[in-house]
Amino acid sequence: MEEYHSGDEVSFNPDEASNVVKECIEGIIGGVDYSQNKVNQWTASIVEHSLTQLVKQGKPFKYIVNCAVMQKSGAGLHTANSCYWDTTTDGSCTVRWENRTMYCVVSVFAVAIAL
Amino acid sequence: MDEDQSAEETTFVVDEITTVIKEVVESTIGNSSYQHSKINQWMSNIVESSLNQLTKLGKPFKYIVTCIILQKNGAGLHTASSCFWDNTTDGSCTVRWENKTIYCSVSVFGLAI
Repeated sequence: MEEYHSGDEVSFNPDEASNVVKECIEGIIGGVDYSQNKVNQWTASIVEHSLTQLVKQGKPFKYIVNCAVMQKSGAGLHTANSCYWDTTTDGSCTVRWENRTMYCVVSVFAVAIAL
Repeated sequence: MDEDQSAEETTFVVDEITTVIKEVVESTIGNSSYQHSKINQWMSNIVESSLNQLTKLGKPFKYIVTCIILQKNGAGLHTASSCFWDNTTDGSCTVRWENKTIYCSVSVFGLAI
């Protein structure tokens, strides 16, 4: 109860989250080529594993993990996010990853829980 | 009486938000073709206008708005989201829109304060 707060306000650590997500991506699509029939499975695994790892950190946050995988074929892809939250405690991080045949963009949004 | 009102104000209403977002996307890129030079402006416009309209609803929510724009070029795009939140009050909705040259996908996540 008291020991959880320990008087400090917890804020989101984007570097830590970024590392967690990178490991998840590498572990799931690290050495593979784009495959249409496997993509759904990959994106689902990436978001689930990332979420599980983030929740394991035990911090008082709600999380949203978003993953987009795109085949490298010359098309233009653009993404944007905007957020309406408490800037002192909430935060996000985005990890961009690629290999020879695909791009992967994972965004994590963390919103503090008022306990 | 009071309970009903507060329930309406504090849960995420998908239909209302879908309508708001569709209007924003239509008014921003409704009749346009994919143009690399205008994309940044379109995207900023979509996410900012969406957020403004959502906050105008006056509900006790934090919002995250995500927008993806993809040129129609034959490439495959797959997206997934997973969320760790309070199922009774929080929610999300995704609006997919397209025209002859553009795919646009806007996701809104609302988290109760």
